[in-house]
Amino acid sequence: MSISDHKQKELERLSAILQEAHQVQGVSLWTDAWKRLKRNKAAMFSLWSLIVIVLLAIFTPLLPLQSPTYQDVKNRELLPPQMESYSLGIKEYDQETERLQTEAQTHAYGSSEREALLTEVDARVKKHPIQLYWLEPGFISKGMISLRLMIFGDFCIPSLFGTDKLGRDVLSRVFWGSRVSLACGFIATFVSLLIGVSYGAISGYLGGWVDNLMMRLVDVFYSIPFIFIVIFIMSFLSGPDVREVLNEYGVGQIHVFFLLIGAIYWLTMARVVRGQVISLKNEQFIEAARTIGATRMQIVFRHLVPNVMGIVIVYLTLTIPAVIRFEAFLSFLGMGVQAPDISWGLLVNEGVQVITIIKSYWWMIAFSGMALAVTLFALNFLGDGVRDALDPKLKNK
Amino acid sequence: MVPVLRKYFPALLMLLAVISVVWAINLGTLPPADFVFNNGTEVKTIDPAKATGVPEGRVINALYEGLLRSVPDGEPDDLGRTPTKPKAVAMSDSYTVSEDGTVYNFHIRENATWTNGDPVTAEDFAWSWMRFLHPETASEYNYQLFYVKNAKKFALVELEEGDPVEVELKDRPVQGQIFPRGTIRRGQLLEVIQAVAEDDHSEVGGHGHGGSGGEGPAIYVVEFQSLDQQSEVHVYTTVDSDDDEIQSLVQSYQGETDLTKLQSVEHVLFDFDYVGIKALSTHQFEVSLNSPTPYFTELAAFYPLHPVHRGSLEKHGDREFTKPEFIVSNGPFVLRERRIRDRLRLVKNDQYWNADSVSLNSIDVLAIQSETTSLNMFLNGQLDWDTKPPNTLIPILKERDEWVSTTLLGVYFYRINTSKPPLDNPLVRQALNMAIDKKSIVDNIVKGGQVPARSLVPPGMNGHQSGYCGEYNPQEAQRLLTEAGFPNGKGLPTIEILYNTLDSHRDIAEVIQQDWKKNLGINVSLRNLEWGTYLDTLRIGDYMVSRSGWIGDYADPNTFLDMWVTDGPNNQTKWSNSFFDEGIEKAKYESDPTERMEIFRQIEQTLMDEQPIIPIYFYVSTNMVNTRIKGFTANLQDVHPLHLLSIEPEGSE
Amino acid sequence: MQVLTFLLKRFGWMIITVWIVFTISFFLMRQIPGGPLNGERVLSEAVRARLEARYNLDAPISEQYFSHLWNTVQLDFGPSFKLQDYTVNEVLAQGFPVSVALGILGMVFAITIGMTSGVISAVRRNSAYDYSFMLMATLGIAIPNFVLAAMLIVIFVFNLQMFPAAGWGDISQIILPAFCLGAPFAGYIARLTRTGMLEVLSNDYIRTAYAKGLSPRTVVLKHGLRGALLPVVSYLGPAIAGILTGSLVLERIFVIPGMGSHFIEAAIQRDYTLAMGALMTYTVLLFVMNTLVDLAYSIIDPRVKLE
Repeated sequence: MSISDHKQKELERLSAILQEAHQVQGVSLWTDAWKRLKRNKAAMFSLWSLIVIVLLAIFTPLLPLQSPTYQDVKNRELLPPQMESYSLGIKEYDQETERLQTEAQTHAYGSSEREALLTEVDARVKKHPIQLYWLEPGFISKGMISLRLMIFGDFCIPSLFGTDKLGRDVLSRVFWGSRVSLACGFIATFVSLLIGVSYGAISGYLGGWVDNLMMRLVDVFYSIPFIFIVIFIMSFLSGPDVREVLNEYGVGQIHVFFLLIGAIYWLTMARVVRGQVISLKNEQFIEAARTIGATRMQIVFRHLVPNVMGIVIVYLTLTIPAVIRFEAFLSFLGMGVQAPDISWGLLVNEGVQVITIIKSYWWMIAFSGMALAVTLFALNFLGDGVRDALDPKLKNK
Repeated sequence: MVPVLRKYFPALLMLLAVISVVWAINLGTLPPADFVFNNGTEVKTIDPAKATGVPEGRVINALYEGLLRSVPDGEPDDLGRTPTKPKAVAMSDSYTVSEDGTVYNFHIRENATWTNGDPVTAEDFAWSWMRFLHPETASEYNYQLFYVKNAKKFALVELEEGDPVEVELKDRPVQGQIFPRGTIRRGQLLEVIQAVAEDDHSEVGGHGHGGSGGEGPAIYVVEFQSLDQQSEVHVYTTVDSDDDEIQSLVQSYQGETDLTKLQSVEHVLFDFDYVGIKALSTHQFEVSLNSPTPYFTELAAFYPLHPVHRGSLEKHGDREFTKPEFIVSNGPFVLRERRIRDRLRLVKNDQYWNADSVSLNSIDVLAIQSETTSLNMFLNGQLDWDTKPPNTLIPILKERDEWVSTTLLGVYFYRINTSKPPLDNPLVRQALNMAIDKKSIVDNIVKGGQVPARSLVPPGMNGHQSGYCGEYNPQEAQRLLTEAGFPNGKGLPTIEILYNTLDSHRDIAEVIQQDWKKNLGINVSLRNLEWGTYLDTLRIGDYMVSRSGWIGDYADPNTFLDMWVTDGPNNQTKWSNSFFDEGIEKAKYESDPTERMEIFRQIEQTLMDEQPIIPIYFYVSTNMVNTRIKGFTANLQDVHPLHLLSIEPEGSE
Repeated sequence: MQVLTFLLKRFGWMIITVWIVFTISFFLMRQIPGGPLNGERVLSEAVRARLEARYNLDAPISEQYFSHLWNTVQLDFGPSFKLQDYTVNEVLAQGFPVSVALGILGMVFAITIGMTSGVISAVRRNSAYDYSFMLMATLGIAIPNFVLAAMLIVIFVFNLQMFPAAGWGDISQIILPAFCLGAPFAGYIARLTRTGMLEVLSNDYIRTAYAKGLSPRTVVLKHGLRGALLPVVSYLGPAIAGILTGSLVLERIFVIPGMGSHFIEAAIQRDYTLAMGALMTYTVLLFVMNTLVDLAYSIIDPRVKLE
């Protein structure tokens, strides 16, 4: 063989190896996990459902729903699910206002008729039904509602879920209630994440008696029944001075409620993170970071925490449904979200309070119950899937 | 050992599980009772002197019996209401009233006994009423006997120099129990040495003049007449004799009495012998009132005044003496068993003087708070009487044979805190009242046939005339609001409605929220608090508008009106009107019924004009009673004496 | 010996935990607006002052703290503020057995249903049984127990009329609440059993057992189950805690006079002493159960050391 032939063969051999190497891709934890998750049909279905649910919740003000708070006890009390159309009557109202305005113009300037009509127009503008239909919407919601009125006008989806004791449409209540329940779930979980991860990471990394002490505290907190704490803080919050301070910062009772629940659920997160940190802290890359002079806080937050994210996400999928269920539990007992705010727990409570042997009013329970159940179901499936996907034992399978 | 344990562990567990399941199932199975009803809540207590609510009243009226008893008497009127009257079909079988209407003389029935065989005597009543009024018993209802001569002085320890007093020494036989009391010495109060109250502009120098005028602990100088007509003077105080304030009083004392032998005692009270409550003999009991009080007979039938058995109370103490194993009572039923928040099991008292007429043998009193659960249990056959079915179903339930309802002597209303601007302006309050569509609430929310209210005192009492507030008139309400300076609600802060957690209250509050928004342009927020926090919040006045309710204790307008006097403990609205206060006092002494009703009408009109409260509706009783039960009548006070009920045997119609 | 040191250590921690819980809740409760002396008829000042004196509420707070602590140590929880005729001990004595009974039945339901379905699922893996059982398990876990209770009431009490609506005192009144209580835990246990069994069944010694000619049933029940028992037992700790919390809401719906309903009412009514007493009892109960579970765990699994 000539020298070039030899080289050629060598080249081919090496390129073959290179090709092989290319095919066996190094996979990061995330890509690997994502691939596996995608294969889990149930989990993916849950993921999509949850995305749909969350999107619906976010865009609820945009949807052509009836008012969740407007009562019509006389005519619409406890109606079963139905297809009868419902109109908001805003167009008519505005037309009447306009008519009065025009009529006012026909009278002489400064005349008493003109003044009377103008006052009435003024009053009508102030008491526009929008304010009755959606109590105190926030800035973004208000924008969405105006958009909705522009697009859909007076049209409303009929009461597919029936109406409640005060004549309010259950369908829109379930939708508006989802915003609170889901927001509570995510925000509270986020709070618990912040607290739990920091606590666990610090405790696990520092080790020794600090770790011992911190974990013992966690053990003790586990023993305290939550309800007590929640009642205390909720009623403490209703004190006048506290309320005023909160109102100044635009914080409502409900926001504090979110924080409160989050502050309860950090315990498991802390434990889990600590466990993970303990097993990670003797790894080489930590050693390396220490050698280059990273401070302890830097190590904890810049190196350990990102590597703990996997297990944190798993516990997130466990915590979110737990929080949502806890909020429902409290609202059911009357200690959580208060009227006129709406949450799924509150709706289920309203439902349970009307079911009797004579008339079961099943729609008061069925839909809010299902909304809760479906969401929790999906979260659980997703959680299972995520857990399986992130399981290192199944890596690259 | 451990390997053996491990091997048999699953089997052990199984055994444990089976045993515990059997135990769990066996726990508390009771034979069923003749009659089961839902009392609506766990009773706070069954000690008559300490109870305050309707549920407690039902049980106490079954276990105990007072001088008189309010029973249905007469034919139903055209609204289906049977009148109830206090009658001498109780511990007393007859009574007389003096000419001027201030002295009542009750004859105690000869054959009335307690469940342990002791006869019921007038002394039992005298002692029980003394205990009821005793400041240490701290009965929340003690003011109901303040019509009796000197009763108020005794209960509130209002001592003035010259008063006869009784001194209880610190030698109580049983630690921690009020009764039996220590030695009692009776004498005359010579002096009261007490720090001057802050706003009392009388003499300086630590010497107040009169027990109720001063502040802080006091020193009492009492003179006793000993057997040989010698008089001794003793000096007493009810706190520790080396208490700082007492010592400073002693230091600054400038009078003549020798204070060195200061003695610490349990109580220095107005001498009960001078209170208008006397046992004249074993079976004659006399009560002397300050002025003729037309509803006194109703009070004599009112359950807080029922007697208790002195012997058993002194033996067991006031916490234990009502336990099923200790209780000695005198009513138609006996307490057999009491399971907290589950039931009270009452059993017929064979010793009851009228036992022959009592038809029920056993009664279960349940404590279910949820209206729907209670109704479901009724419809299931688990209950015979449901006192409060859910509002939404009332139109359906009304059509059933089991429905028994009539107007109830009570009013559902909203309190307004008149010290919080802009609610201090009566025009604003009137506007708020006229913007509420009460008829809609009554027709669409509560649905029991309640009556929208424009006055506070419910109609239905003899000769009573109402004072009225404005009716539903959104236009007028708007005009009033504009006149007050808030056209279309502009400039008004968010008004908050407070209510205690209950479905009906929330529903009504939400409707009113919408009414005020719609008709007045006012923003309204709702706040609901649990019962305890709610009451405390009301008491300290930390509310703007609050839901309230009041049931009459007796069938007279006074029970609805006397709470609105300036600083009355049940006022809570900071409303004060001297014309009103005077009217209440005048009415107490007015003997001509027509005049009296006129006084009430006038002051009620004042109340309605100033509108510190917004009446919403008058209550209606809403009972569901199994058709097998006989003797259940609809009446204004919704009293249903259990011993008058009987069950029709099945298949006899 | 090891067991003894373990128990002593645990006991020590229990005392500390209980003491911390006592202190925190004592101060929390004193902060809540709303004294214990409330009723529909508001008290006049004179009466209120007397009541406060009787319950020692006008003493300085440190004095109240220590006297209450001393009493608690002697297991005297004091008189109930709201239930005037009772001491806390008496209330708890009545309510505790009821809650325990309900909890036991709930747990029994959970374990029997859970383990049975878990085993069947594992043995008949990927079959229709497996899928439907696991689906129901997730359902049980997902649906909050009060929603489940409401639905079951509509079906079984109203429509089928098989059970009474509420109350306590008869077997028929226990079944529905116990089932609702145990359902979520049955779900977890089913899944744990299934996973545990699957893991065990894939072991070599199982294959050996089959090779030896043992019937499938013996293999599964005698050997497989033992392995599956471990995760279930370790789950019992949180399960018991969950059952106690779950019973709070169920005792309300089904009107069962257990400790849970007393506790909720006490918290709502500011019945200080009763709430504290119930709280202490729950804390101790949980601690004891967790210790027992740890003991059981060490017995079952010889590899586990008690620490």
